[in-house]
Amino acid sequence: MSYTPRERVMAAMNLQKPDRVPLMCQFSIGSMMQQLKPSPAEFWYDGELFALGLVELCNRFDFDGILVSLHGHSPDWRDKVISFKELEEGRQELVFEDRQELHSWTDLPMVKYFDKAALKNIDDIDIDNDVPDVIDYIPVSQNLYFKIDKDHPFDIFVFLREMVGNTYSIHGEITSPFDYLLDLLGYEQGLISLIMNPEKCKQILQKFTDGITKLAVEMCKYDIDAIKISSPFAGMGFISPEHYQEFVLPYESQFIKKVREAGKHVYIHTCGHIDDRLELMQLSGASGLECLDPEPVGNVDLKDAFNRIGDKMFIKGNIDSVNSLLYASNEKAEEDVLKIIETGKSGKGFILSTACSIAPMVTEERLHILSKLAESAGKYS
Amino acid sequence: MDNFIDRISISIQRGKIDANSPYPPDMKGEPGADELTREALQNGVAANDILTLAMIPAMGIVGELFKDKKLFVPQVLMSAKAMNSAMLHLKPYFTSGEIKQRGTFVIGTVSGDLHDIGKNLVSMMIEGSGWRVIDLGVDVKTERFIEAVQENPGCILGMSALLTTTMESMEKSVRQVRSNYPSQRILVGGAPLSKEFAFRIGADMYAPNPQVAVEYINSIA
Ligand code: B12
Repeated sequence: MSYTPRERVMAAMNLQKPDRVPLMCQFSIGSMMQQLKPSPAEFWYDGELFALGLVELCNRFDFDGILVSLHGHSPDWRDKVISFKELEEGRQELVFEDRQELHSWTDLPMVKYFDKAALKNIDDIDIDNDVPDVIDYIPVSQNLYFKIDKDHPFDIFVFLREMVGNTYSIHGEITSPFDYLLDLLGYEQGLISLIMNPEKCKQILQKFTDGITKLAVEMCKYDIDAIKISSPFAGMGFISPEHYQEFVLPYESQFIKKVREAGKHVYIHTCGHIDDRLELMQLSGASGLECLDPEPVGNVDLKDAFNRIGDKMFIKGNIDSVNSLLYASNEKAEEDVLKIIETGKSGKGFILSTACSIAPMVTEERLHILSKLAESAGKYS
Repeated sequence: MDNFIDRISISIQRGKIDANSPYPPDMKGEPGADELTREALQNGVAANDILTLAMIPAMGIVGELFKDKKLFVPQVLMSAKAMNSAMLHLKPYFTSGEIKQRGTFVIGTVSGDLHDIGKNLVSMMIEGSGWRVIDLGVDVKTERFIEAVQENPGCILGMSALLTTTMESMEKSVRQVRSNYPSQRILVGGAPLSKEFAFRIGADMYAPNPQVAVEYINSIA
């Protein structure tokens, strides 16, 4: 039986084996820019352009699904721009009332606030006023927030479905409450506060979780198949398994439950070293895990991960985007990816993907190898 | 004296800053690195002994445990805070020359890269092993690295990069520093790097974690 790309991804997420291993990587903004060379600021702000880019990349590289890493684009974004300067090809400077932004083909926008308020001390945080009831921003990177337009929070999913029909699997993305906490306090104060002021951290986390749950439940009303939870600070590079159990698991579990009740899949993206907490992550009730970075960026052995959690969760990932795609020779890249396909095939639910996002400078030719190998070596017979 | 040395060492290892600090819970109300260092000095313990017998070995133990993933970033940050509270009492002895640092370590995250969590941990651990640390911050241009090397003859230079795109800036900075100062010691680190990459771009050493960095710079000091 032949499967559509969407059916292929759905089968893997349902822990079944489709015709072949599905392929779906997430692009970093830098890699989208490198591949598409769009007007960088417009690509960032204009939802339709962003959606067109996502579809183009999915088609170009024969992926089976599309991850929508930004949502809530405002159709009126230009109204707030005070000046828009073309610095050179692929580099633009935008000035807003409160900030200057540099958009380029190499990376995420770099933002400078003219007068940014200093981070508040945790003791001075007033939960009612300082932690929003409605989540209207995505903390993308240091100083970089993507504002969610409250009148158009999920338009992008509509554009995408209009463009691709039923062909591809479409996934949304939600940021973990733990990330919002560290963003609010700054990572150093945030991590120290887990120790010095755990109760206040939990109150803040709960308020964020309430807002995020509402956002996730609303997102589930759209024609998506899954939500990815971005939770990059929850691994061994940052916190102990005990802290994971105390400050990450109880909060992520709350909205995972709601997403599952809404009939959608949900998977956790925690990059880096996570080998010591795979079972804890499974306790969250999520349907899958993404990343599973191999050595040296992480410490997960794919086979072992399947043995430990593969009966209950699908796995998406495991290709080292730097050492296997960017810097390796063609032979090594193919060898590494083939090995992952072989191991992945022996598990129940598997989606071939880069562990973290595709590094910006990975070439087009290299990315084509992925679909070629998924097709030639990924068949379930 | 041994009593003070041991207690300061334990305060640093456990991240006990001062008597008011609630962490760790089993040391609540007890004096921390701050009070103990002050008292030790008042009781005639030599500043140099506090540095070399208590602080440096304590941070070494923290570094080992962090390397082995038995301690995590929050605990390391607490130990570094405890160490800093002790260090404040030793500052006058550094200024007077009664105690000497092992040397100067200059560190920065390379141009275009804003990741600083790893770099900051490396700085803390190297400071805790008895070095003066000059932190140039993030997004450091090659010229700034060169200036810092010029201003601090004999220093060891550390660079951090977390992005594949900025590994290129690292290569550029290393090569430029090297061409101006051929014998400059350069140490590099950051998650996507490898030993091969470090040697290819002309760095002297790649350290995957702060403990390896500490061992390396102490071995060449
Ligand atoms: C935290 C983080 C951020 C934070 C940084 C906050 C801050 N103040 O540092 C924010 C949100 C700002 C951020 C932004 C971006 N990030 Co980021 N980020 C991470 C993350 C989650 C953790 C990095 C970290 O701090 N680790 C913990 C510390 C303790 O470990 P470490 O940095 O490796 O440092 C240790 C060693 O490497 C070593 N070391 C480090 N430096 C040095 C230096 C010397 C001299 C020595 C001896 C040793 C040494 O010692 C440290 C302690 O053991 C990683 C993913 C991951 N989980 O690893 C991605 C990651 C590094 N980021 C990534 C990317 C792509 C980005 C962005 C482009 C946006 C994005 N996410 O798409 C922007 C770029 C911004 C910019 N221009 O720099 C990628 C990099 C891929 C690649 N290799 O190209 C990663 C791997 C995630 C991914 N694949 O998507 N990021």
